[in-house]
Amino acid sequence: MKCRRCKELAQIALPSHHTAFCRDCFERYFIRQIETGIRRQKMFTHEDRILCALSGGKDSLALMWVLSHLGYDVTGLHVDLGIEGSSPMARGQVEAFCQDHDLKLVVVETAPKGLGIPEVYKALKRPICPVCGKIKRYYFNKTALEGGYTALTTGHNLDDEVARLFANTLRWDQSYLSDQGPALPAEAGFAAKVKPLYRVTEFETAAFCFLKKIPHVKAPCPYSKGASFTSHKALWATLEEKSPGSKIAFYDGFLERGRPAFAALEPGHGTKLSPCRTCGYPTSVEWCGVCRLKRQVAGLPPEAAEAEE
Amino acid sequence: MITVRIEPDNEVKTLEKINTTQQLLTRLNLLSTQALIIRGEELLTPDRRIGQGDELVVRKVVSLG
Ligand code: SF4
Ligand SMILES: [Zn+2]
Ligand SMILES: [Zn+2]
Repeated sequence: MKCRRCKELAQIALPSHHTAFCRDCFERYFIRQIETGIRRQKMFTHEDRILCALSGGKDSLALMWVLSHLGYDVTGLHVDLGIEGSSPMARGQVEAFCQDHDLKLVVVETAPKGLGIPEVYKALKRPICPVCGKIKRYYFNKTALEGGYTALTTGHNLDDEVARLFANTLRWDQSYLSDQGPALPAEAGFAAKVKPLYRVTEFETAAFCFLKKIPHVKAPCPYSKGASFTSHKALWATLEEKSPGSKIAFYDGFLERGRPAFAALEPGHGTKLSPCRTCGYPTSVEWCGVCRLKRQVAGLPPEAAEAEE
Repeated sequence: MITVRIEPDNEVKTLEKINTTQQLLTRLNLLSTQALIIRGEELLTPDRRIGQGDELVVRKVVSLG
């Protein structure tokens, strides 16, 4: 196979785009896909202060690399979940990456706040990933809010987005289908939430990290057996192999035609948010989900009970 | 005969009668966009010839959590 642009020997075949690229032309393609996403979805500009969530995996590190390469004002954020073995490895990878590339980094540790994932798991005895996701989102939003960042980026790629959209379509989850997407505007004190990798696949981010020699975590989290969407991803891989281009067509079609149709059915954003009484985080009830979770993990009664006394 | 190390499990296999990257993917039950096939510093597209003495890394790309 030859590179479509320069006719050198290709290293990456991209059947979805009916093309193949050599190392240099692939890098150029990959960065352009991300620029296109940022521009089309009006994600942010060079005036914004961007906080980039870094897990230590290939997607978030590739994203951070590209954003800094494009000259954006970007700071990394790593949430250390306190998982033995896997968290020190992830954190080490993120710290080394930011040091090597001279990038700003904020690290938040959940264990000293009573929210190390092993403790939470022990206390709740139910699937941990949704709870872990909630804790991470909380610290992403809180750090963005307190640090005055105007945009929060995560490394979700096209495969993640398609799998999530597919799951929500199977349930016809009207509220999800009416307002989700790769760019959610700043709202109720939250920074804008954006996913600049939504046009590239996980195969492409893995190839990018390999070719740019970006070391990243490969071992899965020990709790990842509960990770959502793995079977949907396998289904979509088969579909994509049979009919290349299906993923991006499904996702772009949703953004162009599906979402507006569902949005028309939804009676606006009803819930009013006000600051959590303990931590100030925007919430629709008196105490935010993470403050309530903290007490549950610590074996304390809910705040409300105490306040009534 | 070729030797492959499969990531992230770090399982090592030696395989016979494999002449192309596509044949390797098929043998491992993988689609072409589910893994990087790495030889030294380069990535191999499915049409590339592989064989005798090659040492490859098969890096599965699906992200979990
Ligand atoms: S796999 Fe689950 S527990 Fe592990 S980091 Fe991801 S969401 Fe958290
Ligand atoms: Zn080229
Ligand atoms: Zn709170």
